[in-house]
Amino acid sequence: MTVVIEASGLVRHFGDIVAVDGVDLSIDEGEVFGFLGPNGAGKSTVVRMLTTLLHPTSGSARVGGCDIRTQAGDIRRMIGVALQDAAIDPLMTGSELIRLQAVLHGIPRSVIRRRGPELLERVGLTAAVDRRVGTYSGGMRRRLDLALSLVHEPQILFLDEPTTGLDPTSRQALWAEVRRLNTDLGTTVFLTTQYLEEADQLAGRVAIIDEGRLVREGTPTELKATVGAPTLRVEVDQEHVATTRDVMTGFGEERPSREGRVAIGLSEGAAQVAAVVRALDTAGVTVIHLELDAPSLDDVFAHATGRRLEGSGDEQ
Amino acid sequence: MSTATVATGAGHGLNVSLAICVRGMQRLRARPVLLIPTVVMPVFFVVSFTGAFSSLTRIEGYGTSNIFNWMAPYAALQGAVFAGVGGAMSAADDIENGFFDRLLLTPGSRLPILVGTIGYSAVRSFIPTTGVLLVAALGGLELPGGVPGLVSLYVATAGMAVVFCLMGLTVAYRLRSLRSMMIVQVIGFSSMFLSIGQVPIDFLDGWLHDAARLNPLTNVLRLSRQGFVGEMSWDLTWPGLVALLAMTVVGGLAALRALTRLAP
Repeated sequence: MTVVIEASGLVRHFGDIVAVDGVDLSIDEGEVFGFLGPNGAGKSTVVRMLTTLLHPTSGSARVGGCDIRTQAGDIRRMIGVALQDAAIDPLMTGSELIRLQAVLHGIPRSVIRRRGPELLERVGLTAAVDRRVGTYSGGMRRRLDLALSLVHEPQILFLDEPTTGLDPTSRQALWAEVRRLNTDLGTTVFLTTQYLEEADQLAGRVAIIDEGRLVREGTPTELKATVGAPTLRVEVDQEHVATTRDVMTGFGEERPSREGRVAIGLSEGAAQVAAVVRALDTAGVTVIHLELDAPSLDDVFAHATGRRLEGSGDEQ
Repeated sequence: MSTATVATGAGHGLNVSLAICVRGMQRLRARPVLLIPTVVMPVFFVVSFTGAFSSLTRIEGYGTSNIFNWMAPYAALQGAVFAGVGGAMSAADDIENGFFDRLLLTPGSRLPILVGTIGYSAVRSFIPTTGVLLVAALGGLELPGGVPGLVSLYVATAGMAVVFCLMGLTVAYRLRSLRSMMIVQVIGFSSMFLSIGQVPIDFLDGWLHDAARLNPLTNVLRLSRQGFVGEMSWDLTWPGLVALLAMTVVGGLAALRALTRLAP
């Protein structure tokens, strides 16, 4: 597999502030890579360096095989970028912006006449194409921003917090489009987010950044596995508690739980749930309630930093 | 890994500049209120100054007895300063709201971004110049220099818009804020007042005379005014063109340097 984004010891200072402090990355072609972290962690600064908008203070990086310092023009030709706070002129219409973006990237007029409507249709903006962007909702702006970043059919797509502030429906629509781009077109996606669910849903691999440093990196499953086994809690009639305990402890060590419930840590992960349920059924135990408390990326973040990430996006 | 096929080079640069210029005009069409300072202020100058100083041009030395002929080119140049600063303000606004990043992600040189913005300012300057001429015509403006005089005025105003746009862009790229444009507006106003905008240079005394003599805008005013106060003359044309060219080169280098620092 070809490595398309590679960073080594990437550092960026703003005066005395160290925004990014020695970030190493290696992202393969065709990957959806999630870059997860709270506000101010350094996610956008990394994106700005990788997209040639900002020089690193030290360290190096290559995007699509090109050096971010010396081959910025070549990089800009092959990347699409949708930055945080969709940078869209509210006084222009969707079609005017598509045409402008095409000119900026040297796309011939004949090509954009065909590709423009296709892109707008794909992001569901055909009906709004001649409206000023100032009248668009937040979700529509984000979708237009995504369409603009795809005008020149980039091989690598940088999405900087693409769903921040969107309602669940708009978020789902954007996720679907990102998945389609990756699956159908093989586009490599570098996605920054502060939403755990987004990283979990979209990314094949996740890096967690905090205070400018990478604190964890791996697939979501791998990362969750580092903080322990998921907990299975089963509620049964009082008369079946002892039997339930006997059956369940065969699948993992018992964990504390309140009266009328039995909890175990599933030593081989969530895949054991079905086997546990079958074993209880065979033992004649009627389950009243069952819940699986799987470790989340938030647990991973907490384990790595001692703080919780979930909800940090709501603080601003 | 292959890269997407896109055009670059001089043709692409020209297209980018043109697209940025067209975008500016599209924004004006979408929000004409953006033109108010550019048009209303110079028109106000013409109306108020010609009213207040209507007898001024009866004094020997103005080259015309028609106050509109004296004041209209001055007001048009004031409008051009506003047009130039307006172009830079739109760039400062783009920097503040993030749209500028979209332009910076364009493959190729940064120069077309600069050229597009100053081109927009130059085109925009035609609006106040035409507005001032129309209002002055209602008051009795004459054109003894004919069409060359008119061309001379439009060249001077477009040049002034370019110069002040470059000055504004230098400040905007360095300070990255819309509010920083106040600095350029103050410089524009002061430098116009310290020229031969209101009275001929022989009427000025002491440091005001020296300031007007050294001020390159004095030559630009002579260039713009010549078709309205007498016959066209090469002696009044070339110093104005040289002044505009010199200010454009200096301003262009400063703006390009600031842009390269902002986005390497």
